[in-house]
Amino acid sequence: MNTDDLVQKLARELEPAMPLRRPAARAGAWFAGATVYIAALAIGMGFVNGYPNGVGVTFWAVQVAAIVTSLLASAAAFASVIPGLSGRSRSLAVAAAALWIVILAATSTADADWSAVSSATHEWWCVGFIVAGGAPLLVVLARMLRRGAPLNPATTAAFAALSIAALANVGACISLPHANSAITLAWHGGVIAVATMSVAACGRLLFFWRLAPKSTKG
Amino acid sequence: MTTSDSPLDALGDLMQAAQQGDGAAYAQLLRTITPRIRQLVRRQRGFAGAAEVEDLVQDVLLSVHAVRQTYDPSRPFEPWLTAILRNRLVDGARRYGRIARREVKVEDLDVTFSDLETNEESADLSDAAALRDAVQALPEQQRQAIELLKLKELSLKEAAQVSGTSIGALKVATHRPMATLRMTLGKRRE
Repeated sequence: MNTDDLVQKLARELEPAMPLRRPAARAGAWFAGATVYIAALAIGMGFVNGYPNGVGVTFWAVQVAAIVTSLLASAAAFASVIPGLSGRSRSLAVAAAALWIVILAATSTADADWSAVSSATHEWWCVGFIVAGGAPLLVVLARMLRRGAPLNPATTAAFAALSIAALANVGACISLPHANSAITLAWHGGVIAVATMSVAACGRLLFFWRLAPKSTKG
Repeated sequence: MTTSDSPLDALGDLMQAAQQGDGAAYAQLLRTITPRIRQLVRRQRGFAGAAEVEDLVQDVLLSVHAVRQTYDPSRPFEPWLTAILRNRLVDGARRYGRIARREVKVEDLDVTFSDLETNEESADLSDAAALRDAVQALPEQQRQAIELLKLKELSLKEAAQVSGTSIGALKVATHRPMATLRMTLGKRRE
C-alpha cells in the first residue's frame, strides 16, 4: 500500500478519539482509587500488630515521604506516555524517591543491627502484602497507561511499579507497624527495588505500539 | 474548527477536529505532515532506500493515528509529532539492527550446484529452445498464463488485467502447465 492510500484509509476509517485528561489529573484519579484500595486492604488485614499508636513521628514521616513518592511516580508514569512533554515530572518523582530513601535510611540505621536482617522472617508478611496487594493495582494502572503512547516502556513501567510498591509499602507498614530499622530498610527497600526493576524489565511486554494494519487482505 | 495564524497551530486545530471524528480535517493533516515526516526520515536515514523510507513514514503515520488521543489541543502540535517521530525512528533503527545481526546479505547465490543430479530441472530449463517448444505446445490459455507470469514476470494482478481472466483462474492456468513442462522437459532429458 502506498502512503497516499494509507492516508486515505486512515481518514476514511477515522473514529472520534477524545483527548486524554492531563497526566496530573489522571494520576490523581488513579492515586485516589489506589489509596482507598490499600487502606481497605490494611484495615481488612486487621492491623496485625494492633492500631499503630505506639509508633513515633519518624515512622509517619517515612510514610508521608512514601505517599508523596507514590503520587509523583504515578504522575511521572502518566506523563511518560504523552509525547512531547518535558521530563519535569520524572525529575520530581526521582527527587521524592531519593528524599524518601534518605529519610528512611537516616531513621533506620541509627541503631542498625544488620545481623538480624536475614532472620527477620516476619518481614515475609510485608513482602506478601506489597507484592500480592500491589498486583491488582499494576493491572489497573497498566490498562490506564496503555491508552497513551508507549514511548519509553521501561521508564513508564518503572514509575508505575515504584508508585504501586511505595503505596503498598505504606499499607504494609500501617497494617504491621514496626519501628524503622535496618530490617525495614533492607526488606521493604529490597522488595520495592526488585519489584520496580522487574516490572521495568517487562516494560516492552506491557507497553508496545498497537498499530492498525496498513491494508486488509481479501 | 478555529483558524490560526501559525501553520503549526493550524495543524493542532486539524488534529483537534480529527479527534472529534472529522475525516476531512484528518486527511488534510496527514497530507500536510507526510512530506515533513518524509524529509526528516531521509535526513536521519541517509543510507535508507526509497522503500525503507516510505515504510518508516507509514510507520510514523500509523503511530500518530494510534495515539491521536494523547494530543492535548491546548499544547503545540510540533513537539508532540516530533516526539513520536523520534521514537519510531529509534525503534526502526533497533529493528534494522536486529535484522542486520540475523541476516547475511549476499549479492548472487549460485543457482546451480556441482553435483549434476541436483541440477536436473534447472539444466532442462536452461535449454531455451526446448523450453520454447514446450511452452508453444501448451493449450492457448495455459500458454498465455506462462508467458505473462513466468516469462514476462508480470504480477498476478497485472496478468489478470492483460488476459482478462480472474486471478484464481490464472493461478490454476499456471500450476497445471508448470507440472506439464516439468514432465515434458524431464522426458526430453531422458
